[in-house]
Amino acid sequence: MSVTEPPASRSSSWTARVRERAVEALPPEKLLSDKQPSYVASWIYVFGVLSLSALAVIILSGTILALKGPGWWHFTGVGRFFNGTHLWSVELFFFFMVIHLWGKYWMAAWRGRRKNVWITGAIVFLIAIPCALTGYVSQQNFDAQWISTQAKDAMNATGIGAFFNLLNFGQMYSWHVLLLPVAVVAVVVAHVLLVRKHGVVPPFRLEAKAATPAPASVDGGPSGSGPEDRMPTAPPDAGATSPVEGSS
Amino acid sequence: MAAVFNLNHHATYVHWHFIQLSLSNILVIAVMLIVFAAAILIPFPHPKEAGRQS
Repeated sequence: MSVTEPPASRSSSWTARVRERAVEALPPEKLLSDKQPSYVASWIYVFGVLSLSALAVIILSGTILALKGPGWWHFTGVGRFFNGTHLWSVELFFFFMVIHLWGKYWMAAWRGRRKNVWITGAIVFLIAIPCALTGYVSQQNFDAQWISTQAKDAMNATGIGAFFNLLNFGQMYSWHVLLLPVAVVAVVVAHVLLVRKHGVVPPFRLEAKAATPAPASVDGGPSGSGPEDRMPTAPPDAGATSPVEGSS
Repeated sequence: MAAVFNLNHHATYVHWHFIQLSLSNILVIAVMLIVFAAAILIPFPHPKEAGRQS
């Protein structure tokens, strides 16, 4: 006579439930994987990692600038160095991020239930734009005055000028050093976790399309372009046969 | 940077119908397109031992 064990019930503690759900959604071997599919070996992902690196430099240099103040970043050599570091890390952040976004767009990186991965990446780009704008108007110089007086008309035209006033330095500085950076970092973290959860999108099956001449579809569009045809043979989360170690 | 390039003048702008871009922005966009093409076309280096295993 066998005794069947009762099904494991959820704990009544909310911390335990959160932990169980987190581990269920993202087990440690997925969160910190040491192997990736072979198609992860692509320059496009290098630009994703470079974007993260630039963001780290932005946060570090920005923290130092916030601690020292405009008198330091305008009138001392070290201050101007960190001011320049902050500016050029932002320029590189956008440079790397746009190339990463271009690559992922042409890879159709939203395939295989990865739409949230794509959406969070695009949202990071959209939040980073006002983050940079508020930085330009927080410089405390004539450049900032020029940009703020020019850009305020655009804001007023959209109707958000009543609560997003580019001529209000204190408001712009708060947006720039707290609210928008927190939003950028939070969505970047969500993006990376979603990449870890769903895995990197597999490449298109080009050889299968080339080998099989498909008949014309009903709507006159190119046949073989349905979602199922775009998907590879392997399931979305399956890796290729030759993993690459230590990459992400 | 200012010692290399003379920045003491108005920026050069390119007009084409409703499109108006500074020359420096056009150069940055061109460099991005070149780097993107290079990222697609240049093969990613693979570890030598990975090739020997197959």
